Amino acid sequence: MTRPGLAALPLAAWLLVFLAWPAVYAVRLAFTDPAGGAFPSLEPFRALAGDPLFWRAFANNALLPPLVVALEVVGGLALALLLAGRLPARRWLRTAVLVPFALPEVVFLAIARHLLAPRGYLNGVLAGFGVEPTPWLAPGHATAFAAVVLVDAWHTTPIVFLMLLSALAALPREVEQAARLDGAGDVRRFAYVTLPLLAPTLAAAILLRGLDALRIFATPLVLTGVEGVPVLSSYAYHQWSDQGSDGAAAAAGVVLAVLCVLAAIPLLARRSPA
Amino acid sequence: MRRVFLLGAAVAVALFDVMPLFLVLKQAFTPERESLAWPPAWLPGRVTLANFRSAAAVVDLLPALGRSAGVAAFTVVVTLALAVPAALATRRSARADRALDGVLVLVRVLPSIALAVPLAVLFVHAGLYNHPAGLGLVAAHALVTLPLGYLVARGGIRAVPRDVEDAARLDGASAARVLRHVTLPLARPALGAAALLVFLVSWDEFAYALLLQVTNRPLPPLLYYFTAFGHPGLASAVAALMLVPALVIVLVLEPSLRGGVLSGSAR
Repeated sequence: MTRPGLAALPLAAWLLVFLAWPAVYAVRLAFTDPAGGAFPSLEPFRALAGDPLFWRAFANNALLPPLVVALEVVGGLALALLLAGRLPARRWLRTAVLVPFALPEVVFLAIARHLLAPRGYLNGVLAGFGVEPTPWLAPGHATAFAAVVLVDAWHTTPIVFLMLLSALAALPREVEQAARLDGAGDVRRFAYVTLPLLAPTLAAAILLRGLDALRIFATPLVLTGVEGVPVLSSYAYHQWSDQGSDGAAAAAGVVLAVLCVLAAIPLLARRSPA
Repeated sequence: MRRVFLLGAAVAVALFDVMPLFLVLKQAFTPERESLAWPPAWLPGRVTLANFRSAAAVVDLLPALGRSAGVAAFTVVVTLALAVPAALATRRSARADRALDGVLVLVRVLPSIALAVPLAVLFVHAGLYNHPAGLGLVAAHALVTLPLGYLVARGGIRAVPRDVEDAARLDGASAARVLRHVTLPLARPALGAAALLVFLVSWDEFAYALLLQVTNRPLPPLLYYFTAFGHPGLASAVAALMLVPALVIVLVLEPSLRGGVLSGSAR
């Protein structure tokens, strides 16, 4: 090795073959007329615009991320505050609340689907109180959308919890003690001391989790199928797998990729040489 | 009084969060009839391995298990073989470091489906689509795991003290010897953590597996199909198989997860 930089070449070559090439090819597919093969053509995007399922997927994809992120950030913060305190057996409790994220995603979703099935555990509990069984996940049911939001937030809250727990542990104790000596109560100490100190971690969590929520795929697909609560990812999968339409699938993928890159601008900007 | 209330709340949340794990195991080891009974039973009745036998009878369960393990292991090899030399290289060049950082953030940001569709079409021509050993899936998984693998490996390699390497060099060790006998052994805990994390991500990965392995499936798409076709017992048997390495790795890595490997790698 005469030049140490050469050792990075295999990685660069790999990214060229398996990242750059498919990315360029995706754009090519998305702008090719599926009928005649003419390039460039807006035909695949016209097909999307004329498909009501695409617009449902687009709307869901816009609505889901803010709701999921709001729930998991509030939940993760509450859990971190609860388990940062001096509770008995807190090691066990901290491990237990990681379980939803420690389970492989599909495993967690499969059990969540059965929990919410017509003859599932939730309806079983409700039946004990005399409530009629509800088809929570059935297509066209408003509860299906709510279920996707809640289950996705349930699965990902442990990540936010972990981020905030380590941020809480790193907070200077003196500031909090000073506020306590000055007579600030729990609520005031949280609002004026803890929360501002956690703000950078919260911002990072919202950005990262928001990006992941934008790419949401498995949760709506496993819980409700393609047409129950469609999102852009499951719509692209549906176009490719069930409709055999490479162009429309690639076009939907390009729309989602552009949204993701736009949402990631703060992240990419922070990385640029400063 | 207040502490009793807080402890009660914490225990309630913990029980709720452990419930999915309990239900997977219960459904996996009881007859499927029990999982479909009304009203649903929370406690196991008869314990049996029937779901595993039935699942193996309807689908290629053992080949799928082997494929999942093989793809994950091969993904670890590819990821580390690319990431470790790159991490050694960027240690000496701030410009290359920043450039690679930017590209890997982009890799992490792009949605799987946007790349899985063109990869599937390209792999059809390359003979990698639905490959029996999942070679195409390895290529896709390495893409998913590179940002994580690179950042963890880089962290470990940067933490090796320069003085130790310089001392070895002054004693007349060649660059290759320093690397083999000083740098890599000192970075080994981090590289081990990177390997385990990469294995876990590949083992759990669903989107690429669903699109690229249409009949030669690894475990996650198999579990999805059993779930979608209303077989909670068989699905839970597949889930139980998936759980074993997943939980072992999470338990081994838990201290470092808490130390912020996850948040750091996800920056």
